[in-house]
Amino acid sequence: MTRVFVGMSGGVDSSLTAALLKEQGYDVTGVYMKNWTQDLPGLKCPWADDLADAKRVAVQLGIDFEVFDFENEYKHKVVDYMIDEYKAGRTPNPDIMCNQEVKFRLFLDTALERGADMIATGHYASVENGVLKMAVDRNKDQTYFLYRVTGEALQKTLFPLGGYTKPEVRKMATERGLTTAAKPDSQGICFVGQIGIRDFLSEYVEQKPGNIVDKKTGKTVGHHDGAIFYTLGQRHGLDVGGGLPYYVVGKDMDKNEVYVSRDLQDESLWRHDVQLQEIHWINDAPVDGDYQIRIRHRAPLVTAQLTGDMLHIDEAQRAVAAGQSIVIYSGDVCLGGGIVV
Amino acid sequence: MSVYLDHAAATPLDPAVLAAMQPYFSEAFYNPSSPYAPAVAVRRDYEAAKGAIASTIGAKSGEITMTAGATESINLAFASGGGHIVTTVIEHQSVLAAAARADHTLVDVDKNGRVDPANIGAAIRPDTWLVSVALANNEIGTIQPLGKIAEIIKQIRDERLAAGNTTPLYLHSDASQGAGQLDMHVTRLGVDMLTLNAAKVYGPKQVGLLYAARTVRLSPQIVGGGQESGLRSGTENVAGVIGFAKALQQADEHRHSEVMRLSKLRDDLQKRLTDAFEDAVISGHHKYRLAGHLHISFPGLDAERLIFGLEARDVLVATGSACAANKGTRSHVLDAIGLEPSVADGSLRISLGKATNQAAIDLASEAIIAEVQREKERLAR
Repeated sequence: MTRVFVGMSGGVDSSLTAALLKEQGYDVTGVYMKNWTQDLPGLKCPWADDLADAKRVAVQLGIDFEVFDFENEYKHKVVDYMIDEYKAGRTPNPDIMCNQEVKFRLFLDTALERGADMIATGHYASVENGVLKMAVDRNKDQTYFLYRVTGEALQKTLFPLGGYTKPEVRKMATERGLTTAAKPDSQGICFVGQIGIRDFLSEYVEQKPGNIVDKKTGKTVGHHDGAIFYTLGQRHGLDVGGGLPYYVVGKDMDKNEVYVSRDLQDESLWRHDVQLQEIHWINDAPVDGDYQIRIRHRAPLVTAQLTGDMLHIDEAQRAVAAGQSIVIYSGDVCLGGGIVV
Repeated sequence: MSVYLDHAAATPLDPAVLAAMQPYFSEAFYNPSSPYAPAVAVRRDYEAAKGAIASTIGAKSGEITMTAGATESINLAFASGGGHIVTTVIEHQSVLAAAARADHTLVDVDKNGRVDPANIGAAIRPDTWLVSVALANNEIGTIQPLGKIAEIIKQIRDERLAAGNTTPLYLHSDASQGAGQLDMHVTRLGVDMLTLNAAKVYGPKQVGLLYAARTVRLSPQIVGGGQESGLRSGTENVAGVIGFAKALQQADEHRHSEVMRLSKLRDDLQKRLTDAFEDAVISGHHKYRLAGHLHISFPGLDAERLIFGLEARDVLVATGSACAANKGTRSHVLDAIGLEPSVADGSLRISLGKATNQAAIDLASEAIIAEVQREKERLAR
């Protein structure tokens, strides 16, 4: 019997994943990855409840259950990376890093060491012979977060939910009486989802007051408490009152200045051409040519020409920030992608 | 309806207690310190309730300070002196944490969780001012020889007097777990201070008391308007204290018959489980144990899995280990009585209460046997 270790977060998706695999005849072990346990001001980290929820479902299914403690690695590989990127004035995606470093490397390796043949998660994605494909539920598709996973890792991975829509998943979980069937979805990594990246970063970086400058006039129109907290295209959180809203169009981390504009068509907000770095291909590198790309999770697919590490996007895209990932598709196959320079 | 067998953690509010409390939330809402007649009436009711509580435990009303629960009572007691403290290794976290703030000695217990009074005596130093021993342990239900400990303390006190040592020496007991099953009379117990909790006797949560004999000088931890003779400021929790009085009175009234009834049910459950599983380990003293308390370990099993499995079968019990094994900590009590980790991790704490009847025990024993069997089969695969 094939031994599968399922990452169980205590949510409905991974609960149903474990249930389906068991029904399909796999020898299933549930694993809770203990990645983050710290409370933040005003937010109690729900890890202990999540762990209990995951374990409760494992008991319900009668499967083995283990806790893998990745707290150290998660802090170093995901949280530190995220903070460093923000400090450098960039906009990183910690979920992508978590998949690359923790779930599809550390978890996979640890599971294999402990006797697993394969791993599984509750991601909305499909995998066929090491090829990553979009989920049937295009609205939930999570391949954007998975583009930095290797083909070898995917050879040993199952995504049983790829063929279902979220409502179907809830329904199947309810039909099976899973105790997590009605549990609300969590948003991304737990600690950021609930309090917002700004509050999270405030725990790790000191506030540094600076000026908000109107890019056109060069005049100071307001003040901020750290350029690090501002992202390209952002409208909210600018403490400058009156008239049309301002949008962030750039920042200078050294000067600690944030540049804003009232011009929705400001050239820095819209880009046709993007250079990528740290390009990762899940399997073979594709040849130059036309592909579909996604500039953020759930953004619509748009056509772009790939030439080496350059992308020319037919339709100009708004707020493409340095540090964010662009994921490249051919049909429903997720080929890989890179990080905006 | 689920079978609730975790009365050591919380008890449901008794309907008569709720009825007694109800008026004080609404029509009799007045601040007991206000001067007009309706408020004075509330003050009288409050004082009468305190008087009733005091007489239930054989104390004077003035010797009782109402608090927001046992933890606060313990904190107040432990803050009321300076110097060395003696307590046991199996105390509740609130006692251990309060003791940890001062110079203290933790006295060992035997494999049944009983402390040897002579060891308490031996741990007392010339600068020891407080000895604190829980009347009954919350995890394994073992009852301590408090009377013997009180005798030793009295003897040491006499010796101190003779030697001209004026350091006071007090005996405090956290009796939260014993109320309703054991005699709470402070003179018979021989204590100078006693902590009680309404939530364990079918009263409201966040209501407790500290009895302190007149010889003890408490030092207030919550200051303000000077309520409770200045020992615990804050507007009185009138409804809570009225409820506590009613709960304590009822518990005391039915104590003897309830103890007989509970121990019979408990023994029945214990026999069925140990008959079904020869490797099951019972912890706690076979004789000096709370009547409604059963601590049972299934070696090699994971108690938290059992809890979840039982929950699905509508039976609610506690893990015998206060903290789940996967949080990296085991129960200090089970450690102290020398239970192997593989045994401790498979422990259930089952605590019976007022609503527990034979039908509940039948259901519970069937569910536990089935769930333990299921886990053993899973592990054997």
